[in-house]
Amino acid sequence: MHPSTGTVELHGVSRWYGNVVAINDVSMTLGPGVTGLLGPNGAGKTTLLHMMAGFLPPSRGELTVAGRPAWRNPEIYRVLGLVADREAVPGFLTAWQFVLASARLHELPEPEQATERALGQMELHDAWHRRLGTYSKGMRQRARVAAALVHQPTVLLLDEPFNGMDPRQRLHMMDLLHRTADAGATVLFSSHILEEVEQVSGTVQVIVAGRLAASGDYRSIRRLMTHRPHVFAIRSSDDRRLAVALMAEPAVAGVDIGPSGLTVRAGDYGTFARALPRIVQRERIRVRQVTPSDESLESVFAYLVAQ
Amino acid sequence: MNATIASITARALLGRRRFLLLLPLPLLLVGLAALAHGLDPDPSEWGEPVVAGLGFAVVLPMIALVVGTGVLGAEIDDGTIVHLLATPVARRDIVLAKLAVAAGVTTAVAATAMFLTGVIVGSVRFGVGLAVACVVCSIAYSAVFLALSVLTRRPVLLGLLYVLIWEGLLGNLLAGSRVLSIQQYAVAIAANIAPSSVLHVRLSLPLAVAMSAAFAVGGTLLAIDRLRSFRLAGETG
Amino acid sequence: MASDDAAVGAGVIHDIGYQRYAGPRLGRRHVVTALYLHSLRTAFGLGRSAAAKIFPGIVVGVAFGAAVVLVAVRSQAGGVIPYTYLQFIDGLGIPLIVFLAVIAPELVSRDLRSRVLPLYFSRPLRRGDYALAKLAATVSAVWLLLAGPLLLIFLGGAFSRSGGASAVWREFTDFLGGLGYAAMTAVVLGAFAVPLASLASRRAIAAVVIVVGFVATAPVIGVVNAIGGTTAQQLSPLVNPATLLTGLEAWIYRDEKLDAGRYGPLYLLVAVALVTACVAALIARYRKVTV
Repeated sequence: MHPSTGTVELHGVSRWYGNVVAINDVSMTLGPGVTGLLGPNGAGKTTLLHMMAGFLPPSRGELTVAGRPAWRNPEIYRVLGLVADREAVPGFLTAWQFVLASARLHELPEPEQATERALGQMELHDAWHRRLGTYSKGMRQRARVAAALVHQPTVLLLDEPFNGMDPRQRLHMMDLLHRTADAGATVLFSSHILEEVEQVSGTVQVIVAGRLAASGDYRSIRRLMTHRPHVFAIRSSDDRRLAVALMAEPAVAGVDIGPSGLTVRAGDYGTFARALPRIVQRERIRVRQVTPSDESLESVFAYLVAQ
Repeated sequence: MNATIASITARALLGRRRFLLLLPLPLLLVGLAALAHGLDPDPSEWGEPVVAGLGFAVVLPMIALVVGTGVLGAEIDDGTIVHLLATPVARRDIVLAKLAVAAGVTTAVAATAMFLTGVIVGSVRFGVGLAVACVVCSIAYSAVFLALSVLTRRPVLLGLLYVLIWEGLLGNLLAGSRVLSIQQYAVAIAANIAPSSVLHVRLSLPLAVAMSAAFAVGGTLLAIDRLRSFRLAGETG
Repeated sequence: MASDDAAVGAGVIHDIGYQRYAGPRLGRRHVVTALYLHSLRTAFGLGRSAAAKIFPGIVVGVAFGAAVVLVAVRSQAGGVIPYTYLQFIDGLGIPLIVFLAVIAPELVSRDLRSRVLPLYFSRPLRRGDYALAKLAATVSAVWLLLAGPLLLIFLGGAFSRSGGASAVWREFTDFLGGLGYAAMTAVVLGAFAVPLASLASRRAIAAVVIVVGFVATAPVIGVVNAIGGTTAQQLSPLVNPATLLTGLEAWIYRDEKLDAGRYGPLYLLVAVALVTACVAALIARYRKVTV
């Protein structure tokens, strides 16, 4: 795959319906790798994905896939695959027929082989002869992903792909997304569930109320927001003495003592990170566990939403 | 014209329950003609209600409506159209494939019934005339309903309005509206192949053929263009 | 969050002021009335988006338009009446079918499609109540659709008639007769359409079923009229609800347009039987439908 065929670029893209602005001046560049599009329901994730997939024109701005506009350009589907959020599939077709039809419509030179490979990737080789109408929700989802993957696209867009999947299927899908990205594809998936994005991708585009609120590695985003205190959970050999010592530190905003350890709120991450080992050494306390408690997407998300 | 799309569309159409709706109508048509012929071999009295009143006014348009809106409208409605559109297949090929299936099924059901009816009512030639008119107007109707499926979210209701109010009600009242009535083209075409006292022709043949072609081509082009700009709604849609 | 594992032990239910409603609750009658009124509003698209008003609006426009034309013609022609109230209603046959094909699926098929029936039936609303409320709303909608233009015709006729109070009184009695026939029309056509609509959960299919149900038997009557003798001609309109109504009208209103011979009472009987059968079928359908 040539890397440039997998670039999705947005410059100042906006989309409005009458008075309602669904997407507000979003600019981003997506390259090879897995990116998570994170945002609450109604933030505009689906709108953005549909625009990237050529099913919605931007009201303003430029949106290109592999250098060409996505709107009114069926050729982009040679390199782009979309798994939309609507679950409907033609129930009367078997999984084999469904994915094979997709392969044929993509004008692949060897559709049967591609179908077999795609079905194998999605672990549907046992049930390929059954009609989609008899499938569970998770299986239908996998069939749709198989149909989107059959032509080995360099850009893969998935709208809430983990909906309806059990944990094992989720792990498998995440693994699949990583492998696809490692082969050079640009994978973008949307979600409003934080654990999913956390586990699959480090790179995140956060969209809230139509605006791009943050982009990049989510841990760095978190660190960029120094307004809110960082919270750490610490277990040590002598919690109380450690608590007293920590309270004397200017970087520490507060300490809570609980049955399973200390909860420390620190204003400045860097200063605290340097201060803690110093204090522990001086007091001769053995530290068993230091966990940054809300170094997770949830707090990033909640914080951004509250803005 | 894409064979994969055509075969999937045909399977979807013939497998759905709405297709079974269609079968009573042609049976009613042929049955009624047979019954009437049995009671009174001279069709001059009962021919018109059967051929024009039931055949061209009800059987042909209703079958064309159910089939024509079903080949594309159902997919747009439940969202499976995305699987079709997210491929590099030209939108023209998609529309042509669906048009072929719609016109083909409509013709198979309606033209057969009308042919049999025509044979019962008059002669084989009359049957052929009715069948040919059905073929031509199936294409015209299918193109129109296909275009409606892409243009609006309620193509069946609009199609019903067209058939019942425009062609039915206004067609009887206003002479001018007949120029835009596909039913009238069918009558004119049939009557020119096999003149019969049963059919009351109100349009000339050249006009009927030209307008049928206009509807067929116009509907197809409109459907293709609108499908190129097909939009998937955002979160709320 | 990571601090959750700190709280181990007994759970506590907090009092955040939640209170059960202990006041009076309106009963079944109110539920049915509310459903009826809501359905009636839905039929005309009131309280919904603009798009929902288009199709009923078109039919209302057609009906009022015809009424305006009639008023104009009558005022021009002086005392001559080109169409009576009854003929006006008969003339609106096709728009009425379209109207029913639009509203019956809206009222009935939509609930089936979106599977909200459990929400309805978990209230003090019996299944039969639901069916009858929807039917009553349909019938009322059709009656209102007819009554408005009839009123317009009456007002136009009353003002253009010369002949003083007695002429206006005659006009008024004609108008009341028209309203009565409108009610009959609404009951028969509505009772026929709603059970058909309840068979399909997609509005489009329900609309086609209703139209075919009304329209398919009309040519049969044409054929019978052409072939059969007088008796057959007098009996043939029974098979189609619309022509059944014209036959009924001919008998009740002593209108010579349709000769029903001695079969007038039979028309009434068939009409009543049809309505009863349709209502029973509707209630049975909703008793059986699995939510």
